Order: sequence, then C-alpha cells, then structure tokens
Amino acid sequence: MSRLLVSVRAVYAALCPTTVRRRRGVTGCVYPGLLSSAGKKDLVASELPVLNEEELEEQFVRGHGPGGQATNKTSNCVVLKHVPTGIVVKCHQTRSVDLNRKRAREILREKLDVALKGELSEISVKKKESVQKKQDKRRKVNQSLEKKRLFKEALAAEPKPTNTDS
Amino acid sequence: MWRRRVLSEVFTFMGSCRNKKSQFIGASSSVRACSCPALPVHRITALQAVNSWSQHFQEKGVSEPDLSSRYITAHVLGAKTIEGIKAETLSRLLSPEKTQQIWKLCAKRLTGMPLQYVIEEWDFRDLTLKMRPPVFIPRPETEELVEFVLSDLKEKTGSLSILEVGCGSGAISLSLLKSLPWLRALVFDQSEDAITLTKTMLQLYHLDILKEEEAILSLCNGVQALVSNPPYLYTEDMASLQPEVLRYEDPAALDGGTDGLVVIRQVLNLASKVLQNHGRVYLEVDPRHPPLIQQWAESHREEMHYVETKLDFNNRPRFCILQKAETNKDRKQDLD
Repeated sequence: MSRLLVSVRAVYAALCPTTVRRRRGVTGCVYPGLLSSAGKKDLVASELPVLNEEELEEQFVRGHGPGGQATNKTSNCVVLKHVPTGIVVKCHQTRSVDLNRKRAREILREKLDVALKGELSEISVKKKESVQKKQDKRRKVNQSLEKKRLFKEALAAEPKPTNTDS
Repeated sequence: MWRRRVLSEVFTFMGSCRNKKSQFIGASSSVRACSCPALPVHRITALQAVNSWSQHFQEKGVSEPDLSSRYITAHVLGAKTIEGIKAETLSRLLSPEKTQQIWKLCAKRLTGMPLQYVIEEWDFRDLTLKMRPPVFIPRPETEELVEFVLSDLKEKTGSLSILEVGCGSGAISLSLLKSLPWLRALVFDQSEDAITLTKTMLQLYHLDILKEEEAILSLCNGVQALVSNPPYLYTEDMASLQPEVLRYEDPAALDGGTDGLVVIRQVLNLASKVLQNHGRVYLEVDPRHPPLIQQWAESHREEMHYVETKLDFNNRPRFCILQKAETNKDRKQDLD
C-alpha cells in the first residue's frame, strides 16, 4: 500500500480551518484518466470500483485568509471521504493539490476494492500471486541445487581411470 | 501605468530596496545570521534537523513551521516531499555538506522568504517549475483553471492555439502544453523577469496588455482560447496581504486596481478581438468579481456571453468562463 502520510496532525488541523467540498453534477469519476492507467503495484485499474463524485467529501487545509492570489501557503493535504462506507484517505504525497486529489482517488479505489471484495480484491489477489511466485522460485532453486548435488555424488562415485588399465 | 508603491515601511527586518525595474530583492541571509541556530557540532540525522528547525521556525513566528522544515530537508536530500524519503534515510546521519545546505536554506526561510523562492522551485500539477522572486508563485487554485481549459480544448479538433495573459512562471501554458503538445501558445507578461523565467517551447512576448494592445493584436489571429490569472486583488487589500507575499512577489502581478478589474476588463476587450467564434476566455478572479464581470460584459462587450462561474476547492467563486458569440467577422486563424 502506498505511503499515506497522516501529516495533517491534529494540532495543525485544529489551527487551520478546513472547508468541506462536495463536487456536484458529475456522473462517474471526474478523472477518467484513472480508468486507463494502472495504479500502484500494477493493479488492473479497470477492475477497481469506479468512484461516484456525489458520494465523496473533500477537505483541504488552506489556512485563514481569502485564498487565491492573496495567499501563499504550501499546505496541500487532501482528505477524501467516501460517505457511504466512511472510508477516509489522506494524501500529502506530492506538492501539487491537483496531483494529491488524483492520488487520493486512486488510493480510495484500492481501499474500496478491499472493503467490497475482501479476499477477491485486486490487492489480495496480487499478494497471493506474489507469494505463489516466490514459492515457485524457491522450489526451482531447490530442485536445481538437488540436481547439482546428485551430479557431484555421481562423479565422486565413478571409478577413476588408472595407468594400469591400458 | 501601474502605481509603484513604495513599500519600505514594510521592511522592518531588512534593508531591501527597489531598483528601477521594481525588482524586489529578498534580504540576504547575513541580515538574520545572528538569530540562526549555529551548525551542530556533532553530526545529526535528517529527522533531527527537521524537528530542530521546525521548532525554531515556530519560535520565530515563521508561517507553516513544520512544512517549511520538511520541504527544505526533503529538497536537500533530493526528494520533493519528506514522504518520498525512506525511514532509514531519515534516521541516517547527514553529511556535513547536506547539513550546511539545510542550514543555509532554513536561514533564508527564517527571513520570511516564501518557501518556493527558498528552494527555487515548486510543483504545479505534474510540472516542476523554477521559482525566482519577484515572479508570482502559482497558487493551487489555478490548477483547476487549467482543468477547465483542458476539458474544453480536448473536445476540439484541428489546430489549436491559445493566448495567455500574464504568464508569471509559465504554469498555465506549460501545463496545457504538457497535455496537448500540439497546442500553439502565445504568452504575454508585463514583467521581463517573468518572461525570462518562462523560456521553453512558448512564444514569449514582453508586452503589457494595458499599454501595448496594438502590438499584441498584431501578433494574434483567431485563437480558440484565452486564459488568464491576471492581477485581481483590490488595491485597498494589498496592504493587508501576508507579509511574505507583500515583500517578495511583484505587486504588479497582484494589484488589479480600485475594483480589482482593471486588467480583467482589458483581457475581455482583447478576448473579443482575438478569439474565434465560440472561443472561450477563462479567468481566475476575486470571489466578488463574477457578478460584476457578468454585468460589465453585458453592457460593454455584448459579444462575450457569460457562460458560468466555477468554485474553487474552498467553495469560493473563483473562475469565470465567457464565450464569444458568433459574429460576422470571425478572425480566421493564421495558419503559418
């Protein structure tokens, strides 16, 4: 799972007013690019649940003041909540609010996938595949080592050619 | 002609002065050297540096103390954010060179210099842009302005050209070009510093829309879109700006006159002349502006139809979109 930074500490968040924003009037996910791009760990994005922006609440910490040109702040943490399930994602991975919003949605999709599908979720499937791959690899290596060992033993057991044989 | 306000009364800490080009020079770190913590005698870890400076910034009243120390440390370690650095690296002892670099940058931040100017770069959408005072630092709200323009332009076929008024660091046009590399962008700014800074694949012109409209018109023919984040603050609000904004960023990039609309009106005048039929103008504005702009357009620029107001991520009216109605004289695109 990607590194989610819970960087908006309680103290910091308490000092700065947050605004809740619900995006309206868009059917399906606002960022169609997510559907065609693989998320982290090469998950098949098209297999992940599609987000409905109507069900999301976003919060941004922008501090006091009028915003826009009048304010220069570097805080760009995005907190995204999926209202029906209560799943919350915090993203502070990049220095761009726009990228953090997109990344938060990707992460939310992965979390939703786990929540909805459990063992059948993409992340679980990938984990299992990865474990299986490691097991297969180990087995092959052991087989190969075994073969070598047997070969060496066979060599050692063979009678050595001597001068008196000719 | 912009009024060039003398802001010397604001400079209580440092001996900054304005030269003829109205460049604001941030104070050198030597002015504040005495209040900086000395370089540590023994080697410390990155984490220790972050915590130490975080505390120091807080004591000295520097805004966003935690974020400042984190971003600076991450930058010195070659990452964009502290989250991009492995825990083992953060717990490892810093080399003397890296420690010195961190101390040097943090000393600058201690003078109140905006973080983006301290590390000389910042991100806008998926770009990393160079930052240098007094060129205006892109704000996160403006990232959404780019989305609106992009979603409209993506639906258009044929050759595309846009005009940007007031490019600053080039954030808007460079973003558009990254997504639409075949886009032709004509970019203007009244500040020579801005033009020098924004120097890549754009046709850049050092022109002031308020004074040199004819020159601009001679360069543009029908464009599909005009985008601008023009200076839109009310003059009376300038004095109460965050100190670091006032001290370091070009006031000409911020001050929109008595009603904040001086440049906006001129952008709309230009829009009606350079846009193709159905071409759109996208503006970032002050939250009080949308109804005023709509009224003004209806009475002075009836060919510019008000399409909609969009909110920013703080739910404030922030963006205005207007569309040029079909007229008989369509400015044909100059197909070079």
